[in-house]
Amino acid sequence: MSQHYDVIVIGGGHNGLVNAAYLAKAGKKVLVLERRHVLGGAAVTEEIIPGFLFSVCSYVVSLLRPEIIRELDLPRHGLEILPLDGTFSPMPSGNYLWRMNDHAKSIREIRRHSRVDAEAYDEFSKMMTPMCRFVKPLLSMVPPDPTTLNPKDLKQLHFLLQRFRSLSSDERYTLVQLMTMSSADFLDQWFETDVLKSTMSASGIIGTFLGIRSPGTAYVLLHHYMGEIDGAFRSWGFSRGGTGAISNAIASAAREAGAEIRTKAPVAKILVKHGRAAGVVLQSGEEISSSVVSSSVDPHLTFEKFLEPSELPADFLEGVRRYKFRGSSGKVNLALDALPNFKCLPGPGAHLRGAISISPGMDYMERAYDDAKYGHYSRRPYIDMVIPSLTDPSVAPPGKHVLSCFVQYAPYKLAQGNWDDQREAFGDNVINTIAEHAPNIKNIIIGRQVLTPLDLEREFGLTQGNIFQGELSLEQLFFLRPVPGWAYYRTPVRNLYMCGSATHPGGGIMGANGRIASQVILKAWNSAGSRAKAAN
Amino acid sequence: MPIGQRVVLIGGGHNALITAFYLAKGGFKPLVLERREFVGGGAITEEFHPGFRASTLAHTVGPLRADVARDMQVEKFDCQILHPDPRVFAPAPDGRALLFYNDHAKSAGGIARLSAKDAAKYSQFAEVLEEIAAVFGQLLSITPPAIDKPTPEDLWNLFKTGRGIRSLGKQGMFNLMRWGPMAAADFVAEFFETELIRAVIAARGIFGTALGPWSAGSTAVLLLRAAADPHPVGSAAFPRGGLGALTYALAESAKQAGAEIRTNAGVQHIRIKDGAVAGIVLSDGEEIAIDAVVSGVDPKRTFFKLLDPTSLDPTFAMRIRNVRASGNVAKVNIALGGLPSFPALDANESILKALSGRIHIGPEIDYLERAFDASKYGEFSAAPYLDVTIPTILDPSLAPDGKHVLSAYVQFAPYKLKDGTWDTRRRELGDTVVKTLAAYAPNLPGLIEAIQVITPLDLETIYGFTGGHIFHTELALDQLFTMRPVLDWARYKTPIRGLYLCGSGTHPGNGLTGASGANAAREIIRDLR
Repeated sequence: MSQHYDVIVIGGGHNGLVNAAYLAKAGKKVLVLERRHVLGGAAVTEEIIPGFLFSVCSYVVSLLRPEIIRELDLPRHGLEILPLDGTFSPMPSGNYLWRMNDHAKSIREIRRHSRVDAEAYDEFSKMMTPMCRFVKPLLSMVPPDPTTLNPKDLKQLHFLLQRFRSLSSDERYTLVQLMTMSSADFLDQWFETDVLKSTMSASGIIGTFLGIRSPGTAYVLLHHYMGEIDGAFRSWGFSRGGTGAISNAIASAAREAGAEIRTKAPVAKILVKHGRAAGVVLQSGEEISSSVVSSSVDPHLTFEKFLEPSELPADFLEGVRRYKFRGSSGKVNLALDALPNFKCLPGPGAHLRGAISISPGMDYMERAYDDAKYGHYSRRPYIDMVIPSLTDPSVAPPGKHVLSCFVQYAPYKLAQGNWDDQREAFGDNVINTIAEHAPNIKNIIIGRQVLTPLDLEREFGLTQGNIFQGELSLEQLFFLRPVPGWAYYRTPVRNLYMCGSATHPGGGIMGANGRIASQVILKAWNSAGSRAKAAN
Repeated sequence: MPIGQRVVLIGGGHNALITAFYLAKGGFKPLVLERREFVGGGAITEEFHPGFRASTLAHTVGPLRADVARDMQVEKFDCQILHPDPRVFAPAPDGRALLFYNDHAKSAGGIARLSAKDAAKYSQFAEVLEEIAAVFGQLLSITPPAIDKPTPEDLWNLFKTGRGIRSLGKQGMFNLMRWGPMAAADFVAEFFETELIRAVIAARGIFGTALGPWSAGSTAVLLLRAAADPHPVGSAAFPRGGLGALTYALAESAKQAGAEIRTNAGVQHIRIKDGAVAGIVLSDGEEIAIDAVVSGVDPKRTFFKLLDPTSLDPTFAMRIRNVRASGNVAKVNIALGGLPSFPALDANESILKALSGRIHIGPEIDYLERAFDASKYGEFSAAPYLDVTIPTILDPSLAPDGKHVLSAYVQFAPYKLKDGTWDTRRRELGDTVVKTLAAYAPNLPGLIEAIQVITPLDLETIYGFTGGHIFHTELALDQLFTMRPVLDWARYKTPIRGLYLCGSGTHPGNGLTGASGANAAREIIRDLR
């Protein structure tokens, strides 16, 4: 039996690493265990095709918390965020919508489609700012338990109520709508241009098994809109060297603080002694003891794979089983010999440097969802593409490019066949969809990597291929995430904690989960009980 | 303001009649103005074919709130409510069927033939709904609280509700929070494994709405209805003589209390002076002096058709404009030469009894969802979800001897069609309904003597529901309680002094419970005194 650690962090994804970094900075003896040969979880860069570096899963930096960048001094550890400028939406009509970070330019562009929308867009941005300001503090707080009368929770609930009441009537009106409506209905109130609404509504469905007309998606819209709020740079962008570079920067910060990180160290089991987490057993059989175990992997793996049912209360286990994953997206990464050439705006240009969104209309988006509802991948999917090699030449050989395609919908459970048989057909379907807008795509592909929800589960340990470790639906947010009554990073097993995307505030390269969890762990540690335990 | 002042109610629907009754009791002089030749709004009985009468639109009661029924003594005005048992007969294409009785044990008996597990869960599910109804029942009868300056009564109501919710225990409380925003399909799946039973119950979450069982938030609608009637499949009661008998009784009761009712009196315009109501102009030009106006018609009609929108505060006008009120329901009434036979009913079943309640056509969650899908693209369902009654089984007076009336709610039928108009496609919709029914009752087509198709467009032009929405405005998370019809104005008052709302577009809306009308009366009386 090897040495004893204060904390073992299961999973070397961005949240696990953030969690470890903060705990190590606080002087704890920390060990991070990553199953794969490479760190980062879903925030990883890999050379799938020689010379081409793919941000295999997550491909843009959106919501990485500024306080984490600051506190862990990530730039010094090599983090460099390059701007991702704008969103380009080609349309079958031969027209396009190209929104840029330059607000004035975007408004001019929108005016090409509709005068009233151009004015509304300005209003819209003005209204969304206070909305984000309202939600932001919630992203770094431990959710209160609304069912207790415990003063601490009541105080927090009161705080939230007062914040709500301090909003203006118009702000309340919009906030309530964002919390309850579908992104389609919400945007219908503001805009008339189909392609504008469909492209904006797309950010309301990412990581969910919902359509743009499903209530609850307006919140997800806000969740993703927040990234855009604190100005172009720190928010929506690429990290130089791919998203893996973010993980590496965090890892380096963690190592510097004294954390130990092991790859190719898959965990088989969490050790529980007298109802307390006592360490882990690796698949190799190696046993490592610790005072605290912090799991950044999803609840299914943590509680149904690494623990015995007998070690958990029945109602909690039921909550875990009920937790919805429902992966709904796939990823297609392409190595290109040249740049795609869009019919509606031929040739290279700045429009290729931002996000390219295949979301030509509301009905297009909704039909994509309808296919998935009945167990088929979308015949014409929503695709969010980026070409990082234009902004960061280091990821592809000179003159060549990397094209990363996020594809929704791809349901984990197929009505017919299985993903192993349909992987290539799925990939071809994505390329055919792109070809409708950029016909040359088929002739410039050097190599491709197709990731189905099943691959995301197998390769990256994302149960059912959900990129956010569980659906971002209203009944799985805030104090309900992941299990009602257990949204506080604690678990029924003492000294076992959760710090992954399955906790509040959910997915995206935010790091907030890992950071808040570290605070919860340290607080408990310093409380008398843990000190006594740490001593023995 | 002095008691005895003249209060005019626009529209003679059930809510307005109830409000008029309470206003009269409160010492006011209510005058109900109904555009059509009879009162009742969406709850009427009409002869749609010589000798055949039907509850042309609404065909079951909500149920009517107990205190309202008591205060207005509807039975005194020969309104006899019939309570069919079983409440619901649900056939499946494979010949299997379920019957839902008042007695849960009896229903479970039938369910057991499909799934022992579901049979066991059924009564547990019924208990869950009863618990929720116990807590939420009173929520339906309160005025949504003022967020800025809650009145002592608001706080007391919230305290009572809070106490009620706490009584559900930690698990119960969390379940409520989880279920509310959930898709009805997920909700029923937490209890049942059989598609047929899942579909029958989930349908309560989508009836009359623009939601499918997979739409998040449909559970909130289901629970809202469970609060009015906790029985798993809801209410199936209707009055002898059709729904018109109920609104007739409500009208008589209101008159006896001192209300005046005028039919064929369409309101043209509400005159506004200095931000307050000043008068009513009828279609024939007649002017009526008034002290207050209570609108029983939908919010959009009230604010955009009946008064000059420029007299509205722009923010308020914008919110009313944003209210979603696009209907998705059609109604088909069929005159039948005889009783259709459903092979799915066992021979040993008392056929008549089994068909006397509601007949649910929509055997699977995906069937309901596909029916909804069509409406998203401006098409009506090729295989619609039908909520059917054959009232003549318990009430033969509605049709000639031995003949029957079949009345069917049809979902989904969007107000806005992508191709054609409702007038050109009316017949097609009727045929679709007959075809759908024939799959379960093969002899039905041969029995048809006449068909009446009421399209969403008819619901607007004939019944006066703007956008053809039978509940005036959409039932969805963002248009309930303090948001019904719009945030800050969910307390039956409006920004225009002396103008109030009492229709289904106010909290709680939804179905023939009379709750909106009764709640509104309470607020209006308090405000005018």
